[in-house]
Amino acid sequence: MASKLVEKKRKVRVAESESEDEFAGGDFDGILSQSEDEFDVGSDEEHDDDEESANEGSRSEEDDGDSAILSDDIPSYIDGEEAMGKLIEDLPELEIEEPGVDPKRKENDDADRNYRVEKDANGNERYVYDEIDPVYDSDDSDAQGAVNTIGNIPLSFYDSYPHIGYDINGKKIMRPATGDALQSLLDSIEVPKGWTGVTDINTGNPLNLSQEELELVRRVQHGLLTDDLQDPYPETVEYFTSIEEKMPLSAAPEPKRRFLPSKNEAKQVMKLVRAIREGRILPYKPPEERQREEEEKEEVHFDLWQNEEAAAPNPMHIPAPKLPPPGYDMSYNPPEEYLPTKEEIEEWEKLDPEEREKDYMPQKYGALRKVPAWDTLVKERFERSMDLYLAPRVRKNRLNIDPNSLLPKLPSPFELKPFPTVAQTIFRGHEGRVRSVAIDPTGLVVASGGDDGTVRAWELLTGRQVWSVKLSSDEAVNAVRWRPTKDTFILAAATGEDIFLMVPIHPSVAPALDQASRDILAAGFGYATNGHQQTAPGKEPPAKWARPGAKLEDEGVLIRVTVRTTVKVINWHRRGDHFATVSPSGQRSSVAIHTLSKHLTQIPFRKLSGLAQTAAFHPSRPLFFVATQRTIRCYDLQKLELVKVVQPGAKWISSFDIHPGGDNLIVGSYDKRLLWHDLDLSNRPYKTMRFHSEAIRAVRYHRGGLPLFADTSDDGTIQIFHGKVPNDQLEHPTIVPVKILKGHKVVSKLGVLDMDWHPKEPWCVSAGADGTIRLWM
Amino acid sequence: MEPRGAEPGAQVKVTFTTTEADIQLPETKRQLLVPADIRRYGLSRILNSESMLDTGAIPFDFFVNGSFLRTSLDEYLQSNSLSLESNVTLQYVRSLIPPVYEASFEHDDWVSAVDVLSGSSPAGRWSGDAFQHGQDRILSASYDGLLRIWNASGQVIATSSSGSHGGHIASIKAAKFLSNTQLASAGMDRTVRVWKYSESDHFSGDLKPTLELYGHTGSIDSLEVDGQSKRILTASADGAVGFWTTSKASAPEADSSLLPGAHLSKRRKVTSSVSAAQRGPLALMSIHNAPATAAVFDPRDRTVAYSVSQDHTVRTIDLTTSIVVSTLTTSHPLLSLCAIPRGTSPLLAAGTSARHITLVDPRVSATTTSVMTLRGHTNKVVVLSASPDNEYALASGSHDGTCRIWDLRSVRPATKDEGLGSVSEPVYVIEREGRDGKKKAIAGDGYKVFDLTWDKLGIFSGGEDKKIQINRGRDITI
Repeated sequence: MASKLVEKKRKVRVAESESEDEFAGGDFDGILSQSEDEFDVGSDEEHDDDEESANEGSRSEEDDGDSAILSDDIPSYIDGEEAMGKLIEDLPELEIEEPGVDPKRKENDDADRNYRVEKDANGNERYVYDEIDPVYDSDDSDAQGAVNTIGNIPLSFYDSYPHIGYDINGKKIMRPATGDALQSLLDSIEVPKGWTGVTDINTGNPLNLSQEELELVRRVQHGLLTDDLQDPYPETVEYFTSIEEKMPLSAAPEPKRRFLPSKNEAKQVMKLVRAIREGRILPYKPPEERQREEEEKEEVHFDLWQNEEAAAPNPMHIPAPKLPPPGYDMSYNPPEEYLPTKEEIEEWEKLDPEEREKDYMPQKYGALRKVPAWDTLVKERFERSMDLYLAPRVRKNRLNIDPNSLLPKLPSPFELKPFPTVAQTIFRGHEGRVRSVAIDPTGLVVASGGDDGTVRAWELLTGRQVWSVKLSSDEAVNAVRWRPTKDTFILAAATGEDIFLMVPIHPSVAPALDQASRDILAAGFGYATNGHQQTAPGKEPPAKWARPGAKLEDEGVLIRVTVRTTVKVINWHRRGDHFATVSPSGQRSSVAIHTLSKHLTQIPFRKLSGLAQTAAFHPSRPLFFVATQRTIRCYDLQKLELVKVVQPGAKWISSFDIHPGGDNLIVGSYDKRLLWHDLDLSNRPYKTMRFHSEAIRAVRYHRGGLPLFADTSDDGTIQIFHGKVPNDQLEHPTIVPVKILKGHKVVSKLGVLDMDWHPKEPWCVSAGADGTIRLWM
Repeated sequence: MEPRGAEPGAQVKVTFTTTEADIQLPETKRQLLVPADIRRYGLSRILNSESMLDTGAIPFDFFVNGSFLRTSLDEYLQSNSLSLESNVTLQYVRSLIPPVYEASFEHDDWVSAVDVLSGSSPAGRWSGDAFQHGQDRILSASYDGLLRIWNASGQVIATSSSGSHGGHIASIKAAKFLSNTQLASAGMDRTVRVWKYSESDHFSGDLKPTLELYGHTGSIDSLEVDGQSKRILTASADGAVGFWTTSKASAPEADSSLLPGAHLSKRRKVTSSVSAAQRGPLALMSIHNAPATAAVFDPRDRTVAYSVSQDHTVRTIDLTTSIVVSTLTTSHPLLSLCAIPRGTSPLLAAGTSARHITLVDPRVSATTTSVMTLRGHTNKVVVLSASPDNEYALASGSHDGTCRIWDLRSVRPATKDEGLGSVSEPVYVIEREGRDGKKKAIAGDGYKVFDLTWDKLGIFSGGEDKKIQINRGRDITI
């Protein structure tokens, strides 16, 4: 029992030394249990610290259930009593230290008041307060626990002593009692909760972690907040309110000093003024210096747009519609007649604004200064903005088609060979323009007629002139055409009102051929003299057939046919017995058909609608085509009736030619157009080609079986086309431009006046206004 | 790329070949290592050296892969992206000497035909011993209807009589020497005339018409003679090929309807002071349906003739029976013809209106008719003449105002738009003298070449510029 008392004393001392900490932790059970242990075990001090701590740990484990209750309660009676006793001893000091407590509190807290009422020396009531319980939150930090002051040396140095060190006052800190062997064994078997294996250097007891500390460790390990009590998301305490008060606490007016000029600033300014006056500061640089500086400082200009390329206007750009210029009624001072009457104003006002014809009423202001502000400006702006806002901003895609894909698939010109490509012979000799050119049916001789009034014959390949005759000294030869049969060598040429039929004196012409030609020409004389000329008595015959005279006859010119007006076109019938002439200026008699074998001239049309331009026989059927300025009429010569009217749509037809097959027609016009007609298809053109920059003078099909045709123009070019007429009636002709032949010079706006194809080969000759004839092959 | 100059001392392995028997290298010497930067001249020197051919100083030209070597060997290899290690096969031939201009003989009118009488010309050979050395004569026919005979120094020795005195009444288109005493001419007056030519001394001569041959009904554009058999072959614009003899006795009578004055209405009465006998053709073969433009004898067999026409055909004629043996159709009108002797059957060169020359193998057995195309002319090719020296060279005259000389061994494959077959380009282009400096006329306007004869004496060409132009003709190709 003695040992127990000793233990108790020691315990109390320890409790004294660390009473605040112990209470604060609220962990009384450890101490309790320890004291009990010590009480049970007695002075068994040979146990080492580890065992003790293990012991304690197990014990605390056992008492776990109670500990929660105990910790919240006021100190248990043993310690409580002891502490109380001590407090009572210290009371007088406390009384002095704690005066002036509100007396009302006595009544309020009568039940658990923490003071006693005593009588002081004067007999007055005196409140004696309880000792303040220094809980954890207490500001009292003076009370230190027993702190071992041995420093940083191992505790094992004190193993042989009963104490474990010294406190701050130099008193020994005694080693706590250790459990018996059995207890230490049990402890070693079962590691107590919170066991660390470390001896608290201050007490010598095993340092075990309390439940709270374990919880703290656990929380730290899990990354949680260390304290349950701490709210991580507390309500914001607005120390300074964010709400602006409407009625601020202070609405004091601005103090007067705010309106007074600052004396300090005035002082500063005066300082500067003084400095300026004394010349210590220059307010601005002297002009010379500034100028110099400016000169020194080279101005750097950046041309932002120097690399900018002129961009084409956006293809999607649609310019704003152009508004009509303002009228009188929009004037601020319109004339009286523009001012609306009262009824009109009423009517205008009655109408719905959207239905009004105009959205304003003319108003008269005497002077410009009287014009008020535009009252609907805001509304207009708003509506404009609204329009823009509501306008669709999606771009409508235009047709995105490769233009090349729209072009018809035409064969390459190289696949369509042969066709003439270059000038190979130039026939020189004509003075002035060459008006007409023709290749004879054998393809050896070229005949030409020109402004110099001569008809010439040329060797085709070499360009050698073999024959020439001057038909007229003042008039041009307008047309030369060979009789289209190989059994004769007859050329017809027109100059002025005369048509000459001739057999050119060519040394290569065999005498038999020459004779045959002459015979054919002469045959009609007998017919004429026999009086078969069908002319009404008293009426002038449409033409006069005669011999041209010995001089011309020596040159081979054998017949002169004189009509009434200048002949421009000659075209032979395929059999060579008939030829048609056209004289555009001759009104009624502009078209004439001549019969060679009878020396007979007939005027087939009494009346023609329009000026006849050219005429031709159909290559196989008894049809006759007459072109007036706008239309081509097709007549049946047997039935004497109009078969067809072809309307090319040209303004002024210059020439046309009929395909050797007879079903197609090409028309050239002075308005630069070349038109292909399919006679079976329609009387409108099948194809219109506008490739020339000037009027088209002549068009001609190849007659030797090659699918070629060509046109000549005043722009000095000949264009060669591939024009294949399929045998199948259902197919359309293929027309491909294959070559532009350039070479003729344009003389006084005239280019190539005529052309003709070789009867077999893809060769052609052209007559130019520059006085040359060219052979292209 | 940096031009990769061959490092000094680089060598190329070459193999020399030739087709000429007399300058063959022995088998062991054909392969040689030569410096890479060697040119034609160096290669020629090597070949001429004692260790190789020991020929002295024959200039050689070299074909590489069908074209002449005109650069150094390594430049050639570079441009063809070949390595220096590759073995180059060089075919060597005797070098070409440019046909230098020598002289021009002025005329009054366009010169339509030229022929030459020299020791090496056919007429000289036909004359045999009668032909004296140095008696070189040049015959020209002109559009004014006159024949002229010139000596080599450019003096007119003889002129034919005009139309009213037994000569041609129109332009002459063709004329040829039959021998040194006889010649034939034909022209636009549809007649072939045979003339007797006699010289009193070397500076004056006389041309007497001996025979007028009638039969054609169109202009006669071409005339070919065979002096040995005294036969004449003509091609006329009437599409017929005429076969004639110069012997008065054996020639048949002429068709009276063709004779001048046959018709009373004929305006021009030819009052001929010199009366020549009028005869007809041995055979007149109307075999073409377009103007016949040329007819030639087979160089080996004088009973076979070839004719071309604007109807695109080349026809082989057996003259003994006057039958067309075979017909070859080309794609263009043909204007001129020349037979190049080669083996048993000649190779025919035909000039077309489409500005090129087609080489045709006339044999029926030939698999491909068109052997080669010679391109370069810019106008109708109207005359062709084979080289007097060898069978590889050809001269052509065209309306573009140039004569061109072709080597048939220089061949390249045709490009796509030239069509199939192989193509050759001219070795030399002879321009007309006197047009130098002038702007090139369109289509040879004013400078057309109408006729050309290639003899060892020279290349004689006549044309629209009223001149016979003579260029050096010897050793141009070998």
